Amino acid sequence: MEGVQIGVLRRDGRTDAFFDGTAADRLVIKRCAPCGLWFAPDQVACPGCGDEELEWAPAAGTATLVTWTVTHGRPADDGTAPPPAFLALVELAEGPWLHARLDGVDRAALREGLPLRAAFVHPGEGESYVLFRPAD
Amino acid sequence: MGSGASIVGLGMTELGRVYGRSPRRFAADAVRLAVADAGLDLTDLDGLLVSHGLGGSPGIELADTLGLRDLRLLSQMNSFGATAGAMVSYAAMSVLSGAATTVACVFADAPLKPKQSAGSAYHRDAPEWYGFGGMTAALGFRSVNAFYALAAQRHMARYGTTSEQLGAIAVSTRQWAARNPLAQMREPITLADHQDSRWVAEPLHLLDCCLVSNGAIAVVVSRADRAGDLAQPPVHLWGWGQGHPGHRKERGSEFGLSTGAATSGPVAMKMAGITPADVDVAELYDCYTYTVLVSLEDYGFCGKGEGGAFAASGALGPGGALPTNTGGGQLSAYYMWGMTPLSEAVIQARGQGGERQAGKNDVILVSGNGGILDHHSTLIVSPHRKGA
Repeated sequence: MEGVQIGVLRRDGRTDAFFDGTAADRLVIKRCAPCGLWFAPDQVACPGCGDEELEWAPAAGTATLVTWTVTHGRPADDGTAPPPAFLALVELAEGPWLHARLDGVDRAALREGLPLRAAFVHPGEGESYVLFRPAD
Repeated sequence: MGSGASIVGLGMTELGRVYGRSPRRFAADAVRLAVADAGLDLTDLDGLLVSHGLGGSPGIELADTLGLRDLRLLSQMNSFGATAGAMVSYAAMSVLSGAATTVACVFADAPLKPKQSAGSAYHRDAPEWYGFGGMTAALGFRSVNAFYALAAQRHMARYGTTSEQLGAIAVSTRQWAARNPLAQMREPITLADHQDSRWVAEPLHLLDCCLVSNGAIAVVVSRADRAGDLAQPPVHLWGWGQGHPGHRKERGSEFGLSTGAATSGPVAMKMAGITPADVDVAELYDCYTYTVLVSLEDYGFCGKGEGGAFAASGALGPGGALPTNTGGGQLSAYYMWGMTPLSEAVIQARGQGGERQAGKNDVILVSGNGGILDHHSTLIVSPHRKGA
């Protein structure tokens, strides 16, 4: 894994269903079935009907790149800096956008619309998480 | 002549790496300075609007700190970087309606600590992370820089905006700062300096990012027909507006491409009876060079997608067609959220800009920007009464 170390993730009740999904290599997001709308995992209510009990539903795990940044950590006093990290907004096939971290990308190949696929990481410490890699 | 509302007092504490004062103390000091600047006493205030930065203080207890009594208006306001404009417009409406006569609006923050980098004040770190916001931070979004970088990159991909064009904004802003004794960064910079400055979050270099400052700034708002008796030339409020686009994070979003300036600008300019061509000076919220670029487009100073070319034309610097951020802005002078552009607008409208005074200052546009381009405010101010 290149770039800034990914922090240790803990569940807190609100995120349990999401991390149950990542642990099983599944991306789950929010859905309001009556309104037929999909939302990012952090959505708290449906703007269509106001429902605050949005259901979790499996997403396809495919996405496209919307925009990206390469972040550079602050150099240490000895001049060394952590390797850059590729961060992005990705658009899931269902429509919602996620702030995401990219993995295995070629900087020169980054472009709006680049096809991506969810990849799951199971660290030794903390909850599993999802990265996005270029779809083959 | 109609009785509009005016800014009659401006108070600025020491700004920058100033330690040993709490945000509440800074705020109280700024209000006292603003009242004195207006030629008033604290007892003349009957309204106080308070906003704070990261520290979460002060709130409305500031009235007690100042010993203010029998206020008719007291509130804490928050639309992030758009708050200064929102406070002033609320104060203006209050004095025009008769709900209050003399309203102080103040912002204070003190995120800098001794021996700590400016960046670390806005940087998150933790041994473990909770919630979806925590997950995003854990994945690498440790500061607001990365979110603005996503916006800037999207604009570049869509319109061909370049890092050199952003750099032109950094350079012109520093040219103004060199003429401002209040500015924290006065050493001239070149486009090469901008390009050579380290990456923070591509496409943003270090010199695309604003400073971090401790301090407070306050203004006093009153009725224009009263302002003539006071100590300073009144700064008349011709118009105000807000825009909160509510960009959703989903397919079709305009995130990064447009801002609330596209709404708040026309609202404020219509109220003021002006068009973008009438604006002599622009004081634009510049948390990043990119924020200036996209605001210029959304206000109609140039076409959508042309902000880069407009900035690179030299229009924004000393001698340019649209003097912009004439005090050095947040990039080079001081970072007091929306009070940075507002304070410089007051100085320019009064003609007190010294070496940096714009030649023509009849109409000055002030912007505020909050969140990640989520909230926007606009004020139109002038040394003249509206319609005079």
